[in-house]
Amino acid sequence: MTTAIEVRNLSYRYPDGREALRGLNFSIGEDECVGLIGPNGAGKSTLLLHLNGILPEVPGDGAVRVFGQTDLAGMRRDVGLLFQDPDDQLFCPTVFEDVAFGPQQLGLPETIVTEALTRVGLSGFEKRSPHHLSHGEKRRVCLAGVLACQPRILVLDEPTSGLDPRGRREFKTLLRQIRATKLIATHDLDLVAEFCSRVLVLDRGEMVADGLSGEVLNDMPLMLAHGLERPHTLQHRHPH
Amino acid sequence: MRHDFLDRYSRQDSPLHRVSAEAKLACAFGIVALTVAVPVTAVPYFAGLACALVAVTLVARIPFGYLGRRLLWMEPFVLGVGVLTLLQPEGWKVFLGIVVKSTLSLVTMVLLANTTPFAEILRVLRRVRVPGLLVTTLALMYRYLFVLVDEGERMHRARAARTFDQRRWHGWTTLATVVGQLFVRSTERAERIYAAMLARGWK
Amino acid sequence: MHIPDGFLDAKTAVASTALAAAGVGVALWQAKRILPARQVPLLGVTAAFVFAAQMLNFPIAAGTSGHLIGGVLAAVLVGPGAAVIVMTAVLVLQCFLFQDGGASALGANILNMALVSVVTGYAVYAATRRLAGGTRGVILGAAFAGWCSTVLAALCCAGELALSGRVAWRVVFPAMGGVHMLIGLGEGAITALVLIAVARARPELLDARTEMTRPGQALVLGLIAAVGLALFVSPFACGWPDGLEKIAGNLGFEHFAAEKPLVSAPMPEYGLPGLKGAWVTPLVGAVGTLTAFVLAWVLARTLTPKKES
Repeated sequence: MTTAIEVRNLSYRYPDGREALRGLNFSIGEDECVGLIGPNGAGKSTLLLHLNGILPEVPGDGAVRVFGQTDLAGMRRDVGLLFQDPDDQLFCPTVFEDVAFGPQQLGLPETIVTEALTRVGLSGFEKRSPHHLSHGEKRRVCLAGVLACQPRILVLDEPTSGLDPRGRREFKTLLRQIRATKLIATHDLDLVAEFCSRVLVLDRGEMVADGLSGEVLNDMPLMLAHGLERPHTLQHRHPH
Repeated sequence: MRHDFLDRYSRQDSPLHRVSAEAKLACAFGIVALTVAVPVTAVPYFAGLACALVAVTLVARIPFGYLGRRLLWMEPFVLGVGVLTLLQPEGWKVFLGIVVKSTLSLVTMVLLANTTPFAEILRVLRRVRVPGLLVTTLALMYRYLFVLVDEGERMHRARAARTFDQRRWHGWTTLATVVGQLFVRSTERAERIYAAMLARGWK
Repeated sequence: MHIPDGFLDAKTAVASTALAAAGVGVALWQAKRILPARQVPLLGVTAAFVFAAQMLNFPIAAGTSGHLIGGVLAAVLVGPGAAVIVMTAVLVLQCFLFQDGGASALGANILNMALVSVVTGYAVYAATRRLAGGTRGVILGAAFAGWCSTVLAALCCAGELALSGRVAWRVVFPAMGGVHMLIGLGEGAITALVLIAVARARPELLDARTEMTRPGQALVLGLIAAVGLALFVSPFACGWPDGLEKIAGNLGFEHFAAEKPLVSAPMPEYGLPGLKGAWVTPLVGAVGTLTAFVLAWVLARTLTPKKES
């Protein structure tokens, strides 16, 4: 299996001196779907920002490799990052311009925009303004904007937060149809149990567990020690 | 805040909505410039323009009630300054001229805003070579206007819900704290937007 | 202070638009050269912030309320050069989307509220904040600058209205000046209170931004603001010959102002109605300025966080 993401000895301090990530080591294979869990403030979002080179501010120690590359342009082309708050990610005045933003930078044809919008079930939304969309629709436009860049790796930060049950269901259906390497950072443990074969647990900037989701999610002492709990779906399947 | 009060009808369909934004923008500016420049005695011009604007409103299917409410909303600004003209000899003539001119111009601009989405206006500005940084600033401002207004209102409500001191000065400090916090959050948001732009290959 | 359509004649509209374009052009040109890429989104979001801040109403008395204009606040938070761009964006959007301020008066409104207000406000702020150190200096400077910038912008606005021959200077000057000497107190107080809140939450945000403006640029912007004030205010205040009238005549476009002004523009006699004498206006101005400064001083003394002083 080809290695999609390789992280070796990654540490990071915020500009104010706080330690955010301490000596992380892991790799993710192509077409794997991996969950990243941990309590608030564990450093999940900070880690994700490293995966396409937004952090560190001064690039270049090569702690993160994406398909073997360490150059920013290559990392950003291959890694599509879905941000936690759709309002941060949708910064253009219309849906079309927003989805077209990435392809324009990469020199891809504009036809891709319509395709991406159709893929997330929002064709016909091109001229709408983001502030006229529902939360679920915004999230799908964000996804379209990422898909339009044709990344080989999809990195999702809290993709189901703030969605109502229907929005969550629709989003999961979409996610299932996308063929790419996926890394999902989330508090939604049922989502992890359903989608991910492998789980990474991050706490206070350290990787405290890395294993098959069936094993990690069922390890009650580990989960409770790091502010997590066993997903409901697993609780019903394996009553203790 | 209701997000669509300002340009509620800009996204509907009518023959006028299908006209290119360039043409509408040029037309609106032409009308305003002409209206401002013609002498107040040109009564036929004003009457003709008024009829034309009524026709445009009908064609664009913009309700007169809405137009009236927008005018009522704006007219105090016009009257507030206009009333100063009354304090001079023959002032009512100037006053009348100003009120007619500014009202007609106002209707023209309301119609422009309600037949042309702001994103289209931005496209035209970019096309006529308005500096990119200003257009980008305008685009981001339009995008985050409602996000920040909502955020400010939520913060103000949350503060007010825990405020038991009704003195005016206290109200001011509370509001000012909200505004200060809003700026701090805005800079943080600007950083996240920058990250999102980078993530999609912005150079 | 947003001038609607129909209040300005052609020469005033053209002259103010030219000055506004020059000022905004300088600010944009400089920003393009020295603004770091990561600050680009900050301009747009700050513009949205100024707008959102203007939407919050501060109760005054008897059901009335006022709101922030935000020129000085923006200048202190992002530096004067960037603040010119931010305030311009606010005014352009207000013109197109809210019809707040007329399309033909957009140049004049930008000159008053994005240039004169920001640049003079920042100059006053930079000079007065040195009178006291640290956060106290910031509060004192911002409060006084908030007042000065509001009054100067209002005077520039009054000059434009008078020069257009719509309102007599001796009517519009005390009305605009007087009202805005009061409004300016509110502007100064709100600006100071907001900056205190920012200083409490993220003190580093208060000093990091001025580097975004170069001294040379500040000088050019200051010059443009000064020309604006000289062009629109001095003909009345000092009895100088009406410079703009003359320029319009020389360039041969005075016939654009098809309308004969009903009130002859430069009014030699000025001052409050009922009060005669050349000394009244400067006196009122001086007393007002002094009062505003003392109030700013008191505000800074009472409100600065204790640990700082």
